Amino acid sequence: MTEAAAAEQTGDRLVQTNPDYDPDVIIETQNLTKVYRDFWGRQKVRALKALDLEVRKGEIFGLLGPNGSGKSTTIKLLLGLLFPTSGRALVFGKDSTETTKNERIGYLPEESYLYKFLTAEETLDFYGRLFDMPSDVRQQRIDSLIEKVGLTWAKRRQLKEYSKGMTRRIGLAQALINDPDLVLLDEPTSGLDPLGTREMKDMILELKSQNKTVVMCSHLLADVQDVCDRIAILYQGELKELGAVDDLLQVSDETSVRARGLPQEAHEEIAQVIRKHGGDVVAIENPRTTLEELFLNIVRESEERPGRRATSEDREQGS
Amino acid sequence: MVVETFPEIMTWLFGWQDGPGAFYIFLLLVVAACLFGLFFGYLVAAFRHGPGEAFYVVAKVVANAGPDWIRISPRRIFAIARLAAKEAVRRRVILIAFIIFAVALLFGGWFISGADNPERVYINFVMWGTQLLILMMVMLISAFSLPDDIKNRTIYTVATKPVRTSEIVLGRVLGFAALGTGLLLLMGVISLLFVWRGLSHSHEISRAENGEVVMSEVDPFTTGHRASENAVTETTTSLDSGHRHWVEIIEDVRDKDAPPPVNMDSVISQETRGEKIVYRRLNVTHEGGHTHKISYSDGGYDMSDARGFFRARVPLYADQLVFYDRQGSPRRKGISVGDQWGYRGYVSGGVTLSRAEFYFSDFTANRFDNADKLPLELTLGVFRSTMGDIYTRVRVGLQFESVPAEGDEETGNRFRSELLEFESQEFDVQVKAIPRKLPGQVFAPNGELIGSGIYDLFDDFAANGNIKLIVRCVDENQYLGMARADIYFRAADQAYWWNFTKGYMGIWLQMMIVISLGVSFSTFLSAPVTMLATICTIIFGFFSDAISKFAVPDVEGGGPIESLVRLITQKNMGQPLPDTLGTQIMERIDMVFIGMVRSVTDIVPNFSRLDFSDFLTYGYFVSNDRLLVAACITGAFCVGLVFLGYFSLKTRELAG
Repeated sequence: MTEAAAAEQTGDRLVQTNPDYDPDVIIETQNLTKVYRDFWGRQKVRALKALDLEVRKGEIFGLLGPNGSGKSTTIKLLLGLLFPTSGRALVFGKDSTETTKNERIGYLPEESYLYKFLTAEETLDFYGRLFDMPSDVRQQRIDSLIEKVGLTWAKRRQLKEYSKGMTRRIGLAQALINDPDLVLLDEPTSGLDPLGTREMKDMILELKSQNKTVVMCSHLLADVQDVCDRIAILYQGELKELGAVDDLLQVSDETSVRARGLPQEAHEEIAQVIRKHGGDVVAIENPRTTLEELFLNIVRESEERPGRRATSEDREQGS
Repeated sequence: MVVETFPEIMTWLFGWQDGPGAFYIFLLLVVAACLFGLFFGYLVAAFRHGPGEAFYVVAKVVANAGPDWIRISPRRIFAIARLAAKEAVRRRVILIAFIIFAVALLFGGWFISGADNPERVYINFVMWGTQLLILMMVMLISAFSLPDDIKNRTIYTVATKPVRTSEIVLGRVLGFAALGTGLLLLMGVISLLFVWRGLSHSHEISRAENGEVVMSEVDPFTTGHRASENAVTETTTSLDSGHRHWVEIIEDVRDKDAPPPVNMDSVISQETRGEKIVYRRLNVTHEGGHTHKISYSDGGYDMSDARGFFRARVPLYADQLVFYDRQGSPRRKGISVGDQWGYRGYVSGGVTLSRAEFYFSDFTANRFDNADKLPLELTLGVFRSTMGDIYTRVRVGLQFESVPAEGDEETGNRFRSELLEFESQEFDVQVKAIPRKLPGQVFAPNGELIGSGIYDLFDDFAANGNIKLIVRCVDENQYLGMARADIYFRAADQAYWWNFTKGYMGIWLQMMIVISLGVSFSTFLSAPVTMLATICTIIFGFFSDAISKFAVPDVEGGGPIESLVRLITQKNMGQPLPDTLGTQIMERIDMVFIGMVRSVTDIVPNFSRLDFSDFLTYGYFVSNDRLLVAACITGAFCVGLVFLGYFSLKTRELAG
C-alpha cells in the first residue's frame, strides 16, 4: 500500500489535498526562518535563517550543532509549537501548524516534559486517549510499550519518583503510543547512562527497520554517528553542512586496512608495500576499543555471571 | 430584604417592553465581538507579519475555527478534563479547601449561637463560607493550570498530539467544573446538616424552688416589653442557644357556639362567663424568627423543637400602591410626617378619607394551597401626634375590595369586606391570618347595595385574580406609615430543600463563570496576573450595580476629575462651578471616564444576579425564572469566555 493510499485510509482525519505531495518526502522546509521578538516586536534573536531541508521516508536524520544553533527551534517549528516568521514547514505534505498531522507523529522532547503526578500507566493512558484510541487498543499498546521500555516493575508509581533514565524511557513510550510514522527526538540520549544510551540507539535502529522516519537532534556526536543516515549541521541558525554520514566522514585520501591475527613482522612488510605504491604510512597500530564498548562488555558479563568480577589485579595476586 | 418582582424568563429573553430582550442583546454582542475580534486579530497579525500577510493569517485562523469546533472528540475532552481534575486532587488543593471549610464549621459554631436571628446568621455563614472557598479554589486551579503547563513545558507533549485547541480549553473548563461540583455538593450537604444541628433546640420553663411555674402579671409599664393581645400572665423560658422566649397565658374569649381554639393542647383551663367561653391558653412568643409549640397536660408543660426555621417563603407583593389624602384624592406619595427617609408614606387616622390601597394581581387559591386562612405579613411604621402614652398601640383597619378587570368596570359587581381591625405591632413583622371567607357587601356597578353576607376572597372578591387591600389608621390623630413592600401575602411555602439547592446552584453558576474567566485569561496571561484579573472581575461583578449608579452623567459632584477639583477648591457638591473653558474640558474628560466605567460594568458578569444567599438567609423562595435568567447569563458568559480562550491560545506560540 502506498503512502498516499495509507493517508487516504485514515479517513477524514488526514486527507491529503496537496497536489505536489510526494509520499516519500516526510518533511520539507522551504526558506524556513524564525526570528524571536520581544513584546514590542523588536528583533531579539534570529534563531533560524532560511533553512531548506528534505527528510525522506525511512531514514534517520540528525540535526547537529552546538547549543543555540537552532536545532530545537527547527523541531518545534516542524511540530507547530512555534510559528515560522517566514518560509514554511511541511510535514506529510501538510502545513506544520495543522493539528491532523500529529496523528502520525511521535515526539520525545528534550527533558520528557510529563505530568509528574501521574503513574506510568496513567501517563500512557492519557496520551493514548489524546489519539482517540479505543480502550482495548489503548490497553494493549500501553502494556506492550511499558514492557518494551522495561518499566513493568514501576508502572504504578508516580513519575515524580522516577529517576532521569526512567523518565526518559516513559517519555519514549509516550512518543510511540500511536505507532507513529515519523518520530522526532530532541536530545534522545541526554541524561542516560551508557547502557540506556545503547538501548535508546538500538530502539532508534529498530524504528528504522520498521521503515519509520526518525529525526533527532543532538550534540553528542558519537550517538549521531552511530545511528544517523544523514545529518545537517547547523551553526547560529544557518545550515553549514548536509549529507549522508558515510560520505561526510569518509577521508578519501586515506585507506585503512583491518586484519586479525597478524604477527608484528607483517607490519613492516605492509609498510613496504605502501611505500612501493607511493603512499605515506600514517600509522600501523593495534586499534583501541571505545570506552563504551568496554563498559558494556563489563555490564553484560556481570549480568551473565553475578558476583565480583575477576580483574587483572586479582589474576596477578592469584599467581 | 425586599423581593423585587421579576420578569418571566421568556419576557426577559425575547420581550420588547423596556428595550430589547436579553437574547437580542446577546446576538448584538456576538456580532460586535466577532467584528472586534477580526479587527483586533488583523491589527496584531499586521504588526507581526505586515498588512498584506495579515489577511491570510486571519483568514486561516477563522477557517480553522470551524473544524476545531465541529470535529472535537469527547474522548480527548474527557481525557483533558480528567487530567485537570486529577492534577488539582493530587496537588491537594481540594483537600486544603475542604479542611479550611471543616475548621471554619467546627469553630464558627461558637460565635454564631446566641445571635438575634440564628437562622440568618447560620445560613449567611455557610453560604458565604462555601461561596468564598469554592470561588477561591476554582480561581486558583484554573489560573495556574495552563500557565503551569506552559512553564513546565508539559504542554509540548499535549499540543504535539492531535489535540485541538478547543479541546484543551473546553477540557479544562469541564474538568474544573466537575471537581468544583463535587466539592460544592459535599459542602452543601455538610452545611445543611450543620445548620440543622445548630438550630435544633428546646427550652424548659423556669420554675421556682418548689418546682412550681411562677407566672407574673403582664405589666408593660414596669417590664418594658410588649406582650401579646389579651395576655394576662407571663414568664420566661430557660436560656438555650443564647435566647429566651416569653411564655404567656392568653385569654381567648369566644361565643358559646363558636368553634374552640385549634390548638387545644395548649389550653390549660376554660370557664363560662354568661354567653361566652373563656379559654386560657399558653403561648410562646416568637424570638429570633422561630417559636415552639407548647402543650399542657396534667400540670406539666412540654415544649417542641424550634418551629419557623427552614422556610422558603413566597411573598405576594402588591403591584401598585396608591395613597389617598384626607379629602380622598389619590396621591403618588402618602402624607409626609417630616421624616428624612422618604421610604414610607403615611395615612392619617380617624374619620378621614385618608387611606392606602394595595393592588394585588394573580391572587388565586392555588398559590395558597386552598388554605382557609391566608397569612398577611405587615411591617408598619407608626407616627404619633399625641404626647404621653406610647404603650397603647395604634389600631389598623383592613378592608378588601374587588377590582373589576379592564372593560368590565360597567358590568361587574363589586365586593367589599367589613373592616378588620387589630393593633399594630411596631418595629416587627406582624403576621395576620386573614380568613378566606369574610363578611361583606356586594354593590352593583352604579354603587347600589345588592346584598350582604359571607363571601369568598378568591371566588367572589378576586374572581378575576385581582384584589385591592385598603389600609386605614383607625385611631384619631395618629399616622400609619407603609411602603409597597411592607405588606404582602405569604403564598404557600415551597419545599426548603429545593430552595436550598437553588441557593447552591447560584454558587455553582458563579463558579462556572470564575472557571471560564480563569481558563480564558490564563491563555494569554501569566498565573499571578490571571488571578489578579479574575479577582478584579469578581469584585467588579459583585458591585457592578453599585458602580453603575455612580457612573451616570449627572451624578452629584461630577466625575473623578471634577470631584478632585471640588475637594481641592473646597466647593461642596451642590455648588455650581464657573462656566469656563477649563470646566468644560474637565467635564468632557469626566464623561469619557464615566463612559469607560459604564462599559466595563456592562461587560463584566453581574455576580449579584447569580447570588441567592440573601434569599436563603431571609427565607424567601428563589423563583424558577430568577434561576433560569441566572443560568442564561452564566451560559452566555461561559460561551464567550471559552471562545476568547480558544482564539488566544490558537494564535499564540506554545514554545518560546
